[in-house]
Amino acid sequence: MNWRRFIFQTPLGITESFGAAIHALSASQLTDGVINRSKRMMLDTLGVGLLGTRTAVFNKALKYSQLLTSEHRSSIWGRSEISLPPYYAAFVNGIAVHSMDFDDTWHPATHPSGAVLPALLALVETLPSRPSGLDLLLAFNVGIEVQGRLMRFSREAYNIPERFHPPSVVGVMGSAAASAKLLGLSPSQCSHALAIAASSAGAPLANAATQTKPLHIGNAARRGLEAALLAQMGLEGNPAILDMDSGLGVYYNDYSPSAMPVCASGDFRWILEDQDVAFKRIPAHLAMHWLVDAALEARAELQETAWTFDLSQIQRVTLRVPPSKYINCPLPTTEHQARHSFQFNACSALLDNKVTVASFDQARINRPALKELLSKVEMETPADNQPSFDKMYCEVQIETAQGQSCTARCNTFYGHWRKPLSQEDLVEKFSANASSVLCTEGVEGVIDVVENIEKVTEGSVLGSYLRMTSNTHEQMYLTRIL
Amino acid sequence: MLSVLQKTIRPVQVARGVHQSAVQVLKQPGPEDTVTGSFGRFISEIQPQHLSPVVFQRSKRMVLDSIGVGLIGSTTDVFELALQHCQHMYAPDYISSVYGRRDIRLSPTLAAFVNGVATHSMDFDDTWHPATHPSGAVLPAVLALSDMMPASCKPSGLDFLLAFNVGIEIQGRLMRFSNEARNIPKRFHPPTVVGPMGSAAACARILSLNPSQCSHALAIAASLAGAPMANAATQCKPLHIGNASRLGLEAALLASRGLEASHLVLDAVAGVAGFNAFYEDYVPQPLDSPHDGHAFLLEEQDMGFKRFPAHLGMHWVADAAASVHKLLVGVGPGKVFTDQVQDILLRVPLSKYINRPFPESEHEARHSFQFNACSALLDGEVTVQSFTPAAMSRPELHALLSRVRLEHPHDNPANFNLMYGEVQVTLVGGDILRRRCDTFYGHWRNPLTIESLRKKFRSNAEVVLPSEKVERLVEVVDKLDRLGDCKDLLSQLQ
Repeated sequence: MNWRRFIFQTPLGITESFGAAIHALSASQLTDGVINRSKRMMLDTLGVGLLGTRTAVFNKALKYSQLLTSEHRSSIWGRSEISLPPYYAAFVNGIAVHSMDFDDTWHPATHPSGAVLPALLALVETLPSRPSGLDLLLAFNVGIEVQGRLMRFSREAYNIPERFHPPSVVGVMGSAAASAKLLGLSPSQCSHALAIAASSAGAPLANAATQTKPLHIGNAARRGLEAALLAQMGLEGNPAILDMDSGLGVYYNDYSPSAMPVCASGDFRWILEDQDVAFKRIPAHLAMHWLVDAALEARAELQETAWTFDLSQIQRVTLRVPPSKYINCPLPTTEHQARHSFQFNACSALLDNKVTVASFDQARINRPALKELLSKVEMETPADNQPSFDKMYCEVQIETAQGQSCTARCNTFYGHWRKPLSQEDLVEKFSANASSVLCTEGVEGVIDVVENIEKVTEGSVLGSYLRMTSNTHEQMYLTRIL
Repeated sequence: MLSVLQKTIRPVQVARGVHQSAVQVLKQPGPEDTVTGSFGRFISEIQPQHLSPVVFQRSKRMVLDSIGVGLIGSTTDVFELALQHCQHMYAPDYISSVYGRRDIRLSPTLAAFVNGVATHSMDFDDTWHPATHPSGAVLPAVLALSDMMPASCKPSGLDFLLAFNVGIEIQGRLMRFSNEARNIPKRFHPPTVVGPMGSAAACARILSLNPSQCSHALAIAASLAGAPMANAATQCKPLHIGNASRLGLEAALLASRGLEASHLVLDAVAGVAGFNAFYEDYVPQPLDSPHDGHAFLLEEQDMGFKRFPAHLGMHWVADAAASVHKLLVGVGPGKVFTDQVQDILLRVPLSKYINRPFPESEHEARHSFQFNACSALLDGEVTVQSFTPAAMSRPELHALLSRVRLEHPHDNPANFNLMYGEVQVTLVGGDILRRRCDTFYGHWRNPLTIESLRKKFRSNAEVVLPSEKVERLVEVVDKLDRLGDCKDLLSQLQ
């Protein structure tokens, strides 16, 4: 019993308010807008994850996880023959989602869905209570909402990060919240889940642009799930973990937390309602999207004005971008670096007139023509270009030997929350991704289930579609990778 | 660090019209030039002959104490909870031993996890300067990994001891990168920052990874490091050591499978935080190649071992209060009567998370100047039993607690190398009794004798193991460097 509260009658602490909210939020409070947006997020995330199961990093993590277990329970996306305990399923599927930097991005900056969905899907397949699709959707939104709330505790969070990679800070908290919700934990247990998860937060930015970055999302998913499970078993942490500077505050230079509103019944204002996510068209860091759009536009303009335009005539390419060290990489050698390189993405766009999944193959990265173009790139960071996904722009200026100059600027790329992907384009991205590993029945099954998720009686049905591989794909992949 | 960058230009550069700033970034530092690379090299190349006798002796003491503490820790609630969690959520993989549980084995990372939890469950494990709990992060991982290796190529006792020392050394070196690390922590709990790194280093060593893989193991571990101080003094704190151990092991295993991460994680790169994300001030230094000999930090800076299971800061006030207790009861086995005592003043360093006037759980009690001082005042000592619910709820203890005040003198810094603890008791008659402790028995300046250390070990281990195994463990650890096969150690833990 907390004698202090008894004597002083203090109002709910911030951490407790979170625990209470996670516990009490109900499906009736999901608005249409939120349902719609979050289903788009789920669909995109699944597609991106399925595609990501073909990456080297995913395979290393999978081999590792198989080493350590023998009893299998939750699905591995894109694998019909393998399943793993939920903790490791969440881990590897989370890695798949972020393996190509193709997953959604929010403002303030983080990749919210990859930290939450793999944990929930892993959990839903093992719970005897057999949660419904609606339960799943609600828990998903709880996980997203908590991340959004936590990021608003710090001004630092609004800019492109420099110290901790945001998914490693708020992602694990979102996963814990979502898992706690699905498990039906009490308010106090929900608070403790957050506290336990906080002790698993925080990975340094230096591992971005490396093969380890995808593990930041994989780890967020699995460690948040674990935190909820431990809380369910009665483990306790600091019940004021969100309130204290020495709690979640350690990850920020400025930290000013506030309580979640009490939401026993009635309306709840979800952050997702006011602030949509961005979906990527290119498997690269979000900032690359502005640049590619600008580069394509400048290239088109040059092609129009110059009768006989060819790339060898380019003398200089100037990129005007926001300042950010970890996405400034003049000569990337790995796919991970390439996805975090203003220079690479601009030159790929200029060379191929598009940037796609294939642009990041090692062969494409090594092309002499690309390297030649890269040597002509100059970077500028204008004072008015702020390192914030809400405010930045990118400008590309191409100058030719003949003295021509074309400049194009992109303020809002297609896919950004200010200019969202149409439903058709989102489904098309999903289909293209998912078809790389699933058969048609699987692809269409996922689309159908997500579209109608609130009416689905058993959330675990999603897992069964995610395992419907086209056999030729799985075999082909296995021979390639080995 | 700028000088490090002025090495050879990468041969692939296409020279026409390269912008100036691009040139500087093109000259990527090779592994031999970076702090991170120097660490990878050290871990990979250090040899047993680089261990001095002092380091042997000190590290074996640490191994013994850590095992004992882990064995008694296996009787705690938090340990039981963590164990059940692992058994329910994962397959029964009969690979690595769990302290004190004959019938249970777990997959290696989970064994490292639960044994690490056991080690820190009662805050009874060793403490170093700069502050961290080094052994609990390393030993469980090295044991678990050794269990995993095939019977025909288990590490020798010497390999085992060397890997253990690598894990300790790395932690010590990393903490010296920051002045912040010298003081009692406020932000990140140190075992969660340097612990995974030490575990990763030790495991990389057992796995005989090459220098580059060792560097990557450190970098992968960095992405698993860091937990806030707010969870200290809660039931979650023991998981900080459990996680450090298992995540470091995991990082090494992932590195052995070829996973790569930042090759500059320990170096300070402006605008992109690596390991320095966890510190306000950070000046990294490379580790010298061990070929010309290497002075392990354990040589110059010994370890503190605890005599009772509570935060290190408690040991000063407990020793001071125990002296006052002696004065109060005189020569005979008297009792302290609480109505004699009017006021208790503690002069201690300023540190919020160990200032708890009325602790409500055993975890809080282990982090309370007030509780430990009053227990020692009442009983003449603080022991394992002092933290049982019965002992904690004694009315005479509460009577004393309600009379405690704290002062934070300016000359008493929150630093385990410099602090002191003073207890001043004012009696009802007006008499004032005051005792001060500058260096408690067990501190690195006043180390436990081998007899005291073994006594602590026996008292802990006998709670869960039969005395033949207890004695065998004392023997085996003492001879660890001469053991042909570490399975003699591994088989006695359950």
